[in-house]
Amino acid sequence: MNAPALTVDGFVKTFGGVHAVEDVSFTVADGSVAALIGPNGAGKTTLFNLITNFYPADAGQARFYGASLAGLAPEKIARLGLQRTFQTARVFPGMTTLDNVLAGAHRRVRSHGVRQMLWLPGARQEERELAAEAQALLDLVGLSAFSAAAATSLPMGAQKLVEVCRALMARPRMLLLDEPAAGLTDAETAEFASLLRAIRDNGITILVVEHNMSLVMDVADDVIVLDLGRLIARGAPAEVQRDARVVEAYLGAQME
Amino acid sequence: MDQAVQIIIGGIVQGCVFALIALGLSLIYRVTGIINLAQGAFCIFGALLGYTFQVTFNWPMPLAILAAVAGTTVFGLVIARTTFVPGLAYLPNSSMLMLTAGLLTFIEGLTLVLWGSQPYATPTFSGERPLDIFGVLVPTQGLWIAGISAIVILATWFVMGRTALGKALAACAENPMAAQIMGIDVPRMTLMSYGISAMIAALGGIAVAPLMSFQFDTGSFFTNAGFIAVVVGGTSSFIGPVAGGLFLGVTEQLAAGYVSSLFADGVALGLLIITLLWRPQGLFAPRRARRHDVREDVRVHRAIVDFRGHGPALAGIALVIALAAIPWVINDGGLMSSLVITLILFISVLGLDVLMGYAGQVSLGQAAFMAIGGYTSAILATTYGVPPLAATSAGIALSLACALVLSLVTMRLRGAYLALATLAFGLLVDSLTVGLTDLTGGPSGLVGIPSFAIGPLVLASPTAMYFFTLALIVVIVLVLLGGMRSSFGRALQAIRTDQTAAAALGINVPAHKMAAFAIAAVLGSLSGSLYAFDFHFLSPEMVATPRSFELIAMLILGGDGTLIGGLIGAALITLLPTLFQPLALYKTLAEGAILVIVFRYLPEGLLGRGAWLVSRLAGALMETFAPTAAADKLP
Repeated sequence: MNAPALTVDGFVKTFGGVHAVEDVSFTVADGSVAALIGPNGAGKTTLFNLITNFYPADAGQARFYGASLAGLAPEKIARLGLQRTFQTARVFPGMTTLDNVLAGAHRRVRSHGVRQMLWLPGARQEERELAAEAQALLDLVGLSAFSAAAATSLPMGAQKLVEVCRALMARPRMLLLDEPAAGLTDAETAEFASLLRAIRDNGITILVVEHNMSLVMDVADDVIVLDLGRLIARGAPAEVQRDARVVEAYLGAQME
Repeated sequence: MDQAVQIIIGGIVQGCVFALIALGLSLIYRVTGIINLAQGAFCIFGALLGYTFQVTFNWPMPLAILAAVAGTTVFGLVIARTTFVPGLAYLPNSSMLMLTAGLLTFIEGLTLVLWGSQPYATPTFSGERPLDIFGVLVPTQGLWIAGISAIVILATWFVMGRTALGKALAACAENPMAAQIMGIDVPRMTLMSYGISAMIAALGGIAVAPLMSFQFDTGSFFTNAGFIAVVVGGTSSFIGPVAGGLFLGVTEQLAAGYVSSLFADGVALGLLIITLLWRPQGLFAPRRARRHDVREDVRVHRAIVDFRGHGPALAGIALVIALAAIPWVINDGGLMSSLVITLILFISVLGLDVLMGYAGQVSLGQAAFMAIGGYTSAILATTYGVPPLAATSAGIALSLACALVLSLVTMRLRGAYLALATLAFGLLVDSLTVGLTDLTGGPSGLVGIPSFAIGPLVLASPTAMYFFTLALIVVIVLVLLGGMRSSFGRALQAIRTDQTAAAALGINVPAHKMAAFAIAAVLGSLSGSLYAFDFHFLSPEMVATPRSFELIAMLILGGDGTLIGGLIGAALITLLPTLFQPLALYKTLAEGAILVIVFRYLPEGLLGRGAWLVSRLAGALMETFAPTAAADKLP
């Protein structure tokens, strides 16, 4: 087995007495798709926010290919090659869909602002190449017809796809996706599953929070289950599905 | 010792008024999250209304005061009902702030039209003879102020803490949506809070009027003082703004008494900056942490002006040719001069557009950079005979230095706090241009500034200046366009609405904000220098804070985030008063009205609206062929 891409080591986070995340540890193998599941309020998004340092953790830390992420500003984490998307789609208002995707390439642009302002041929050329790449990504998710439209005018499901494209434009080593398939139809979800597999096959590790079980069972190599801030199970999709604690977390204890 | 007691008493009296304004500001802020910049204008409106009732109409004083307070409250309610409350439903917070800046300008303009520009001194409530309290002379008006303030503060405390109305207002502050669901009429509560704030402001203004001289534009001074008091005190508790106001009043008076009155503004600004850096939540109260994973401002309506393709390029070339042809068509020297000023101001607006339109950093201090550039180059050229080009460069260097310091100091501030820090910066520069008489010539201005020259080439005529400025603008617009359509511009636009998501993409948010600030400062400074050389004269009010508001009005009217839109705004606001001379009195009023109306009905500006219409037209055409074309959604 490969060395882990992401190691989460004993995260603890309390919000005013509520234990949102309690001593959670797991690893995500390099080049795999891991799914983070659990009922509402299980602490999945909080865990994302802890990994990317949007919240300071009360205890514990995350390591990315061995390097500790503790105390790093979100933009430094992005520069290491760890990209995230948000639970509520956060496309940039007032920008076209294409510009939104291009914004993801920010760290890759080599010609700096002054060269862009002087319209230097190299800067223009780079800009054209990036635009073509962004257009190709939009094509891949079926949104290329909307590249000149305001990103906020797209339906929610499409906005989340734009966000995934934006994150991909950064050429990350690993993606953290927060409910990327929310708002997609069943057919679109199936397409999205093959997109996730394609991303993984390109060597990008994925950790995805998802409620859609068929998607999780379809693409995940590894499933991590949280309930009330605790890790209650992890393993291959089929194993986790049979786990009594997982069934109980989802359906309640009334089955006894 | 006696002197110190005297000064402190003076400070408490002044602090009481600041506390009242701060109280009103924090009331509206707590219910809506908006700092109402018009707050100070209600002070002046109330006081001058009181003057009219009492002196002109000769009403008995209690009746005059009552009528003035009632009149101001009704006026405030009308303003809130027609602009502020409906605006809240769809404007982002930064636009709401500018809407209140528009209201401030509008009310000042109205005051100018109604009462003229002369200062007023209203009679005291109970004679001029000060009261002797243990050897300390206290003006009786001071006691009135303290008494009125105490009553207002106690009444507000009672209403907020003990009544159902107070609870409803607090619920709106806590969570407007939940309050709405619980059956609280949030718009009505907002209206109520605005009315109460106007009433409190009027009371404060009427009480302090006899001790100060009031004129139409004293309002921004009060707003600023009230805001600093709110920041120093913090908004979360009821006592914070009151304590902040008193603290600010005493500190300012001590500084004025023992150092110099020029220094008093500096002390206020210093207090503001120290508080914002050291305890952004205010000195007197804690504040809950803000959630960082949720976008703050979802209400953004903006037409997207896309510069790609041949259409915009051709339109741009046509525009430049048309502008270059103007001097051959127009023979009127006065109109030509106004056109030069239009272009010069447009340079400043361009800088503001990068900072506000693209990076979304609201700045109420753009004119301060015009002042720094204008005065630096004018003084160097006039007193030391430095060639204009070198003098202009020196001005730009100084502006750049100031901008970097300002942006470092304000780096952690967002939205309203940043806007008001830039306002404070603008007011500080205002006080310096007036106060440093030896250097700037004081209020009467600096005369004998030479014409702009490039080496031996002297641009003496308006036509020469016109061509030079136009060429400069073409270069500047091309440079900015290159930046804005590339990754630099995209990063600024990303920061505009969502700093958190921008940072998550690896964008260095502080560096980009700083760059935007620097561009705004450089262009503002350049514009200020050209202005001085073109006019051969520079006085403080040409580049003071009202000019900052005017530049914003130009930008918003034309359409922010469009680069070129500001030209439409600059032309309309500069040329209309020239073409209709008798209307000059109404200029401030009209500018305020334009800001308010544009924000209320046309938030994307004239150019943005035009671009939207064009894109809709194109969309409709495409619809005929491909039914998937999507047009922008606009209100």
